Order: sequence, then C-alpha cells, then structure tokens
Amino acid sequence: MTGGGFRCRPSLSKKGPDAVLKLIVRRILLALPTLIILSMIIFGLQRLLPGDPIQTMMAEESDPQVVEFLREKYRLNDPIPLQYLAWVGNVLQGDFGSSLRTGLPVTQMILQKLPITVQLASMAMIMALLIGIPAGVIAAVRKNTMVDYAANAVALSGMSVPNFWLGIILIMVFAVSWKILPASGYVPITLDFWLSIKSMLMPGFVLSTAVAAYLMRHTRSAMLSVLSSDYIRTARAKGLLSNAVIIRHALRNALMPIVTLSTLLFGDLLAGAVLTEQIFVIPGFGKLIVDAVFTRDYAVVQGVVLFTAIGFIAMNILADVLYIVINPRLRHPQ
Amino acid sequence: MTTTEPLLSVENFSLGFGSKIDLIDGISFSVEPGKTLCLVGESGCGKSVTSLALMGLLATTPARITGGKARFDGKDLFTLSERARADLRGNDIAMIFQEPMTSLNPSMTIGQQIVEGILRHKPVSRDAAQARALEMLGLVRMPAPEKRFHAYPHQLSGGMRQRAMIAMALANAPKLLIADEPTTALDVTIQAQILALVSRLQAETGTAMILITHDLSVVAEVADHVAVMYAGRIVEVGSVDDIFSDPQHPYTLGLFGSVPSIGRRSSTLATIEGSVPPLEHMPRGCRFATRCPFADQRCMDEVPPDYEPKAGHRVACWYAPLEAHVRAA
Repeated sequence: MTGGGFRCRPSLSKKGPDAVLKLIVRRILLALPTLIILSMIIFGLQRLLPGDPIQTMMAEESDPQVVEFLREKYRLNDPIPLQYLAWVGNVLQGDFGSSLRTGLPVTQMILQKLPITVQLASMAMIMALLIGIPAGVIAAVRKNTMVDYAANAVALSGMSVPNFWLGIILIMVFAVSWKILPASGYVPITLDFWLSIKSMLMPGFVLSTAVAAYLMRHTRSAMLSVLSSDYIRTARAKGLLSNAVIIRHALRNALMPIVTLSTLLFGDLLAGAVLTEQIFVIPGFGKLIVDAVFTRDYAVVQGVVLFTAIGFIAMNILADVLYIVINPRLRHPQ
Repeated sequence: MTTTEPLLSVENFSLGFGSKIDLIDGISFSVEPGKTLCLVGESGCGKSVTSLALMGLLATTPARITGGKARFDGKDLFTLSERARADLRGNDIAMIFQEPMTSLNPSMTIGQQIVEGILRHKPVSRDAAQARALEMLGLVRMPAPEKRFHAYPHQLSGGMRQRAMIAMALANAPKLLIADEPTTALDVTIQAQILALVSRLQAETGTAMILITHDLSVVAEVADHVAVMYAGRIVEVGSVDDIFSDPQHPYTLGLFGSVPSIGRRSSTLATIEGSVPPLEHMPRGCRFATRCPFADQRCMDEVPPDYEPKAGHRVACWYAPLEAHVRAA
C-alpha cells in the first residue's frame, strides 16, 4: 500500500471514461479472431450436415436443369472455401444474403424477429433478477434455517426441471384450467402493451427458472462471504440496524459480481430461448433458426448464429465495462 | 482503584462455545470515565472476544455469554434488547478494530462511512453530519481531509485507513472507546503516531478507553490501569504503577521477561515455557499452573483466591505476595 496520497484520484471525470473506452476497444479487437473462427465453424459445420437445400426446396418434382440453375445461382457448386469468402465479403458489406426458402433478405428477417426474442429474454431476465437476488439474500441471511434449505431446494428444481415440461404444466394450469393467460402466441408490444406483457408472462417465467436459480445460488454465496467480512462488523459496530447493514453494506458489495454474471446470463437467455419459443409458439429468433436448420436454409442459419454470437460477445464486453463502472477499486486507480 | 463511579464495570463475566469449560471464566474489571484500561495478554487469551461481547457483536462468532454482568453508564448491557444495544453501539460505545485494511467498506467513500454513523445516532442534517465528518478527519490529522472525504478506502494507506476508522469511532463522542490492537497491522513508525493520536483525542474528549494490546511498551505509555489476562481469566489487575513496579503474578513477571530491551544483551530472550493448554485440558485450579515455575498440586486443583497487596491491585495466585513465598520456598 502506498502512502502517496497525492496520487489519489477521487473523481471519475479524468481517468475513468478513458480507461473504459480503451477497454472496449481492446475487447473488440480481441473479439475479432473469435468471430473469424466462429464464422468458419458456422459455415463449415452446416456444410457437413447431410441434406441439400435445393432438394428440400424442390421437394419431389425436381427438374435437373432447374436444380443446376439454382445451384449455380446460390454458388453451391463452388469449393467451400470460396463460398465462405464470398459470404464473408457480403457480410462485411452488411449483406447476409437471402433466404433460400422465402427469398427475403436475411437481415430483414433477423431485424423482424430480434425484438421478439429480446423482449422475451428481457422479461425472463427481469423475472430471474426479481426472484433470484432476494431469494439469495434471504437464504444467506437465514443461513442453515428452513428458509435457506427451502430456497436451495427450489433453486435445485429450478435448474433441473425441463423447460418443455414446466411450460406445458403452466399452459395447462393458467391457460386451460383457469383461463387467465393466453396459452401461446405473440402480441407486439406496440399493438397492445398489456396483452403483450401478459402473453410473455409464462414464457418469460419458464425461460427464467434456470437463470433465477443460478442467480440465487451466486447471490447467496456472495452474500455469505461479504457478511463475514470485517467491514460488515464495522458497520454493525456503528450501530446500524440489520437491514441497513444487509442492504447498504453487504448487498452493495455482493452485487458487483452478480451484475457481471447477469449480463453474461442475458446473453445465454438470448441464445437459449429456442425451446421456450417452440413451446409457446413465439415467432422469435429461436423459431427462425429451427425452421432454417430443418430446411437447410444456409444463409439464414449462418446469419442468425453469427448475429447471436455478436450479441453474446457484446454482452461479454458490456459485463467487463459494467464491472469497472460499478467497482470503485477499478474505477479509481490508486 | 479510586472511589469514582466506574463507567463500565464487568463482573464475573464468562463466555463459552457451548462446551463444559468456558473460554472466558468469570473475569471482572472496571473502567473509570476518561481513563484507559489496558487489557494485556497473549493471542487467544480472550481479549478480542471480550471486547466483541461488550460491543454486542458476538452474534457473528460462535461464542455465547454464559454468565456475569456488565454495567455501563447505569445500564446492564447483557440484558438490553438488541435494538437498545444497537442504539449504544457507535454512539456511547465505539470500537476500533485491528485490521484497518479490511475494516472499511470498499464500495463507499470514507466520508459516506463516517456520515452514516453520525446520521444513525444524532438528529442532525446531512450537511451538519458531513461538516462533523470533515472536522473529525481534520482532528485525526488526515492529510488533505477534503480530498480524503471523497476517497475510497483502497486509495488510502494503512495508517490513513486507521485514522479514518478512529474518526468514525469518535465522531459521536462516545463515552467508551474499545481499541482492539489498533496498531498491530501498521508499520512501526505509524504505530507510534496512531497511538499518540488516540491518547491525545482521548484526553481532549474525555473518552474512556479499553486498549487491547500485547505490547507492554504501549501499556507503559498510555494505561491508567492494567488487566493482565491469561487463558480467559484475569490473573492480575491494578494501576499501571502497581503492575510495572510490583508485579505479583508469575505470568505478569513472565510477560516482562519476554520484552526485549535495548542495552541489556542476554544471549536468549526470556520466554514463558510451554504453551496454553487446549480448553479441555485446562487445569481445574489456576489456568497458568501448567506453565508456572512455582506451581504445585494445589495450584492445579484449586482456583486461587484474589489477593490484594493494596487497594485496587488484585492478583489471583496462591503464592501472592510472591516475594514472601518464593523466599520462604
């Protein structure tokens, strides 16, 4: 520990944003190789799959000449590395190609579906935070009591219950028996705000369970380690009441790793909504990619996966930035 | 001791971890207003846990109070409600801890942490509390207090952090300050500064202090009274003069023998033979008996009565006064 007090920087104004900007640039540069390798894998793996997009398109009545024409048109006869380079070249110009099935530009399809999945993932994230963090705090404060055991048991089931099963049970209870929530489908938030939220309640909850359980466990262990630290004893020595100690002193410090974790988990939710979207018939990203895989719609699969990957990497960078912004030890260097 | 009504008097205080034998076994001591009592003893003798019990902070440890009373300023501490104890903590009784590096909240500024303690206890505005916090930072001789007010703990050195802790503890002008080895974690040069600071502030504010230490030179410097603890019992208590000029208990003598001094160069440092026995093997009589050069069977079996060489100087030893017995032996 240095005694050189004059080197302290008590304000964010000078050093802070610079450091953050530098970090973002560095992380983006570091992400580039990841993206390149990933794009190769996405492109290559799909070509390894059995099945032929043109065959799928043409179904039974295939005229060899038409097939050949289409193969040429979509450059499917070129060597795979050439196909790859052509695709990358287009992507760099913002052109993800167009769907073999519908002929629509992939970018347009993605931009259409993206808000739906983002809404679902956000809903799930909010629910997971609202359930996971308070449950974790309570479990930590009431460590080794019935409350703690119950929270842990619920968390374990949250992680192990399969989404499709939970989804179907919820549909049976809330949509079929009680008829208080729509069973499936999607209503754009711009069309009818409340109906949109209502139709997202069940899918959001189903998607949130695993993340909520994960957050609960991490919050619990972060709180436990913070609660046993010396500065919590100092806070109590000041005469602060229990709630102030737990929330202002303990939770504030325990949340730092949780914020980072949540950002990463949000990336997971965006990428992992596929199954939930299938159960609740939500026309989001997941449905788009499942349909595209089944029909060997190469351009769409590539576009969606690449988009998801970029989103995931962006979440990672955001997590790093948030970590600096909320942690005074990193925000104000010594 | 003198006839002044003590601010804190602890009587027959015992504390344990649920086993048959108590870690702290019936200790008694008192602190007069504005005076300093030094609790001396080796690590693990129960000094820190005693101070936590007085603060009402035992809940974080497995230890529980098993007997005794502690009267503070007319109140019986151990029978107060948790809420009433929290009202005392940081207001009438404050504490400085051993580890300045980890005792401050890393995500709050120094200023926030001092202000918070003031607002908890005093009916003042936030502005007034901030002014008071700044004043305290000045009083503890924090360099550039306005700047440090907005600094986070990691931006301060160990000595500055301990100054901040002291500012925090004294911000509400407590009647009693408990300082648990406040300088052990600091550089030697800083230690002296911090000690001088604490005793100066104590003298200025009239705060009484319990200073927990194992450093006898510190005791000689700041103590009015001294209580020597060994394995959960107070073996000798008296004024600083009594203890330093006429130590009676063999353990106290041993402590003095363990202090290295400049000038006198004996080949080895005098030490007390052996180590503290584990609680379950503690002798039924005097707890020091296993290591005492004068101990006999009676010491092992029977708890020694208190002997008072003079008013206020108590020693728990079968062989007190030592001079008479040792010469006779």
